Amino acid sequence: MLQVISAIVVRRLLLAVPTLWLLSLVVFFVLRILPVDPLGMLLPASATPADAAALRQQLGFDKPIPQQFLIWLWAAINGNLGTSLNFRQPVSQLMMAALPATLELSLVGLVLALLISIPGGVLAFVLYQKKREAAADLTVALMQSIPSFLWSLLLIAAFGVLWPVLPFSGRIAPDITLPGLTGFALLDLLLTGQFSGLLSALAHLVLPALALALGFAPLVIRVLRSSLIEAANEPYVEVARLRGLSESRILWRHILKNAALPTITMIGVQFGFLFGAALLVEMIFGYPGIGNLMVQAVKGNDLPLIQGIALIFCVLMLAITVIVDVLYAVLNPRMRNL
Amino acid sequence: MSTLELPALAGSSIDSSSNLRAALRELARQPRVWVGGLILLTATVLAMFAPWIAPHDPLDQDLLHMLAPPMWAVDGSSAYPLGTDGLGRCVLSRAIYGARVALTVAIAAAWGSMLLGSTLALFGGYFGGIVDRLISYVVDLWMSFPPVVLSLILLVGLGTGVDKVILAVVLVDWTRFCRVVRADVLLTRRRDFVLAAQLIGFSHWRTMLREVLPAVVPLMITLFSIEMGIAIVVEATLSFIGLSVPPEITTWGQMLADARNDMQSAVWVLLTPVGCIVVTVLACNLLGDGVRVALDPRLRQRAG
Repeated sequence: MLQVISAIVVRRLLLAVPTLWLLSLVVFFVLRILPVDPLGMLLPASATPADAAALRQQLGFDKPIPQQFLIWLWAAINGNLGTSLNFRQPVSQLMMAALPATLELSLVGLVLALLISIPGGVLAFVLYQKKREAAADLTVALMQSIPSFLWSLLLIAAFGVLWPVLPFSGRIAPDITLPGLTGFALLDLLLTGQFSGLLSALAHLVLPALALALGFAPLVIRVLRSSLIEAANEPYVEVARLRGLSESRILWRHILKNAALPTITMIGVQFGFLFGAALLVEMIFGYPGIGNLMVQAVKGNDLPLIQGIALIFCVLMLAITVIVDVLYAVLNPRMRNL
Repeated sequence: MSTLELPALAGSSIDSSSNLRAALRELARQPRVWVGGLILLTATVLAMFAPWIAPHDPLDQDLLHMLAPPMWAVDGSSAYPLGTDGLGRCVLSRAIYGARVALTVAIAAAWGSMLLGSTLALFGGYFGGIVDRLISYVVDLWMSFPPVVLSLILLVGLGTGVDKVILAVVLVDWTRFCRVVRADVLLTRRRDFVLAAQLIGFSHWRTMLREVLPAVVPLMITLFSIEMGIAIVVEATLSFIGLSVPPEITTWGQMLADARNDMQSAVWVLLTPVGCIVVTVLACNLLGDGVRVALDPRLRQRAG
């Protein structure tokens, strides 16, 4: 088992090297065809062309683009992603501060999405070819037409403005400072035993995580439903029925278990969608994550920061493929004897 | 050889026209196709004739009537059927004009991604080998970016404007078509009629366009419809952030951004742009689902 897992991890990591290199190259060149001058924002209105040239030289923007890329790549390999033009801080430092927040939000969002979509998918499957199937289909289609960023606005309108019960800005109440242990707010507050802080952080997490979950759930429901339909046609279901197992036991213990594999694969493939949605959700809720940082970087043409965040997103996506592959190997009995 | 070919060709032409009629009949039997199609048609008509239909200019500010409620509210007025926004602009007119950008982006971006993605899929899937591996590698590479992140990066590089948004969506979403259509081409390539065409001695070009392509068209129509919905959401997202178009062009995303600022004093302003986006995207999804169910023989048998 362990061998299978380590083989998967090693193979994936080897494949990841050229992928990351090529992706950085693509991002780098796309960002350098920019029609706007990234230095525009840095210079005071009274700057002379000579000042601009000096700054350009200082930041290395005067060199040919391939040379700029090599310089960036070499520094990146050594763990230096450059300095943000707008924040005047090292890119890696900015990202390390924001990354745990995004991971926390995405994980809680994913858990909520599963809590919605597992019963939802099973319900859609139970209604398959029944009278109320059309209603179920329409509900899923409607859910699929409301992206997370619209859910964010609707949830803020409902629970922040009309019935103001939940906070909708930031990660924690402004008068509480987060203990900076791991960067994961819930974990840190739990470890340091600050339960009022924990409540505040949870309250701040509810709406953004729910917005993320509601946008992601219909995708999972659809895949789960079709996987369940497929799994229910397998011969072992008939065998289980002949053995006299109850229908609900067959559904929850046998069919669902077998439908889980394709669903997990799909969730892995669609994680990019989740991160993309998190970007907007973070921006709307003023949540200090990596997506929010990206939006600010894009608005300010902060090239080193955009480049760094793009790289982090690629690393995250690659990490998720590894996790999905490993989960697949662990959960699939056919892979166990390899 | 030529005597053998004639009846075969004549047979196939009769077959294809009756196939088309059968396909249209299947489509007409799908309520989802009707509902989705009608909504999209209405939205297109509204968008095309916006200057004649909209009661006001979408940029006209009526500073005496800021954040006016919709007409059915107690102090609503029929001059502004859906009320006004924080700058006193007519919400209904802005919604109608916003449909122009949304549908332009939807149709153009879906065409672009379909052409680019399906062409590459057809080549890769049909010829296989190194071409296929190269294309698949690029698709995998592209898909290791979250789509929103990639489109943000592209917009930074390309600059803003409706044409840039369309280009960004095409450059991000062609992979969606490529991956799915390629799988279908791979299956079709091994079917008997394709082998027969190759045996008769049709050129690769002709086999690809006349035999393989028609077989994957239903899938492409489904994807096209769904892609329109995706493009509408992407455009709304980008203009919500403020990256899509200059402020003198009205979009649903801008309306959302304005509504967000005025949310504390007037929640209802949010409902119109949200409703516009959700209904249009739902129409695209319904149409796509309907086409898929109607034209996919496996699904049709199950349903019938």
